[in-house]
Amino acid sequence: MKSHALATHRVAVHRRRRSSVTRLLDRFVHLYLALPAGVAIALVWANTMPEPYFVFAHSLAFPVNEIGMALFVGLIMQEIVEAVMPGGALHSWRRWSLPLLAAAGGMMGSAGLYLAYVHGHYESILETGWPIACAIDIAAAYYVLKTILPRSGALPFVLLLAIATNLVGMLVIAPQYQVVAVHGGGLGVMLVALGIAGAMRALRVRSFWPYLVVCGTLSWVAFYREGLHPAFALVPIVPFLPHEPRRLDLLADPPDDDAVHHFEHEWNTLVQGILFLFGLVNGGVLLRGYDTGTWALLLGALVGRPLGILTAVGAAVAAGWHLPRGLGWRQLVVAAFASSSGFTFALFFATGILSTGPLLAQLTIGAVGTAAGSLLAIGAARLFRVGRFAR
Amino acid sequence: MRRVAVVLLTALLAAAGFTPAATNAARAAETLPVRPDSLKFAVIGDTGTGDTPEYDVGQRMAAARTAFPFDTVLMLGDNMYGPQDPQDFVTKFERPYSTLLQAGVRFYATLGNHDDQNNRFYKPFNMGGERYFTFVKKNVRFFVLDTNQLDPKQRAWFDDMLQRSDDRWRICFFHHPIYSDAARHGSDVSLRVILEPLFVKYGIDVVFSGHDHVYERLRPQKGITYFVSGSGGALRRGDVRPSELTAAYYDQDQAFMLVEVVGDDLFFEAVARSGATVDSGVIHRAPVGSRASR
Repeated sequence: MKSHALATHRVAVHRRRRSSVTRLLDRFVHLYLALPAGVAIALVWANTMPEPYFVFAHSLAFPVNEIGMALFVGLIMQEIVEAVMPGGALHSWRRWSLPLLAAAGGMMGSAGLYLAYVHGHYESILETGWPIACAIDIAAAYYVLKTILPRSGALPFVLLLAIATNLVGMLVIAPQYQVVAVHGGGLGVMLVALGIAGAMRALRVRSFWPYLVVCGTLSWVAFYREGLHPAFALVPIVPFLPHEPRRLDLLADPPDDDAVHHFEHEWNTLVQGILFLFGLVNGGVLLRGYDTGTWALLLGALVGRPLGILTAVGAAVAAGWHLPRGLGWRQLVVAAFASSSGFTFALFFATGILSTGPLLAQLTIGAVGTAAGSLLAIGAARLFRVGRFAR
Repeated sequence: MRRVAVVLLTALLAAAGFTPAATNAARAAETLPVRPDSLKFAVIGDTGTGDTPEYDVGQRMAAARTAFPFDTVLMLGDNMYGPQDPQDFVTKFERPYSTLLQAGVRFYATLGNHDDQNNRFYKPFNMGGERYFTFVKKNVRFFVLDTNQLDPKQRAWFDDMLQRSDDRWRICFFHHPIYSDAARHGSDVSLRVILEPLFVKYGIDVVFSGHDHVYERLRPQKGITYFVSGSGGALRRGDVRPSELTAAYYDQDQAFMLVEVVGDDLFFEAVARSGATVDSGVIHRAPVGSRASR
């Protein structure tokens, strides 16, 4: 009897421990902490035991960056498609005009300052890195604004400008994929992939996995054979997937309340694992590898982008546009700084544009450093006493 | 015996930060055999400042050539700093090395992070418009890489070229060192884990790099001798932090290298701007199979 009670107690303790571990992991996933955790481990590892780290990173670079990240890009596409579809939070095009102008201003500001710095130091070889300076970490901007400006119009404004900016960046880097040779024949494979995806849609296949595994694999082969970045392989497949309109919590893990959201939840969990590996494989750089590209990237993202956004919005307001309801100038400054972190997307763009070498290393340090943009946003909110700091 | 004593003495002097007194030009080849039929070349890195020290090194090289008639110069990148307009090619390259260029010496360049990518089309750099290329001189094949980024195409090309090479000596040069004890940049380990296995597999004998503005010779790593020679124009005085990898170094003044390949031996001298020999020695070519165990 005693031993039975003990066993029951052990099971209960085990369940409690398991559920607390599960809860911790869920929180980890929900807060998008997987990538920062991977980068932190990689930085420590690379700077203490560089050779084993780089052997590890080099061996995993292809499966993580070229295969795994296709699921990340696919998920971002799925979220964008759901947000802009009828009933989605971003469906109304009227909401887009000012954020689009702000995105254009932000890109000009970040790319302009980046290129000016690079040219000023006569390192034209770094010119190709300008899209990295433009990248916006959607998750970082989302959580910073949700924390400090929860009920202002800043959140949809920044999400829209981040989506527009990153889409432009993706369009620029997709054809820059560096391959040994273009094999051709990808168009035929792509047509087969799209045909199967269309048939699945017609047959009302609700699970995501057949689309991702069968059609996604074929699309990946098509991209690779044509010399396009295969991480974008799911982009043409995503429109065939089942969708549910999204609320404004664009990057929040959707509630697990129907089949579509269930699959998105599973997909998101898988992507967080991939992002952890992505951070681990790409985030490790020797800190003394900083150089011109590092400063150019930090200057472009942390100074050029907020300046560009504020200038563009200022010009638009002068021309007759109105700021969104609940978004004053002080909040706008905070929102502009919240969008200055490039982190995840900057790392992704950097690995898409550059191959192994010192240029990639210095831009990786810059990309990680742009995470400071979140701190700048918090500092600005304190300074201007807005949102959570309003007293 | 005399050669060993010279190597030890110069290494000790360099370790103590001692700058040897200026000597005459002929001394710059005193440890080299100077055989009539051997391959002789010079090595310079990080040169293109257009400042007085670069001109001094150019004159010292020209003077050294009277005793050591080399016909080839390897340029290890950062061949041009700052603006790279047509006039800059004159002030930062053609004028400092005018004596050598007029004598018909051929320069072979690799690109550094400060070089404009279009400089590969500049004829006197002999790059044939390519970021990476190979050429042969007597019994030595040189592989020239662009380490700014090791793209898959370049790696596949390098692997293919190494497989095809049946030359007696294989020497590789590129800008960023995969072994270096300099404090500013040091070893690029991310490049090392890709390049070193190829070097070992296919029997690269010697590697020259720049980027760190010092001179350093590393102890052989897996049978391969690495040189950092990045003080042909720029200099980062006192930047070397010697470690167990360091065989010799000199970080007190600008320097260049003279190299001679005779049969299975490669003789080298590192010469300071003053004309003093700051390091010298000989590398005996090892059979490919014996490399990994060393």
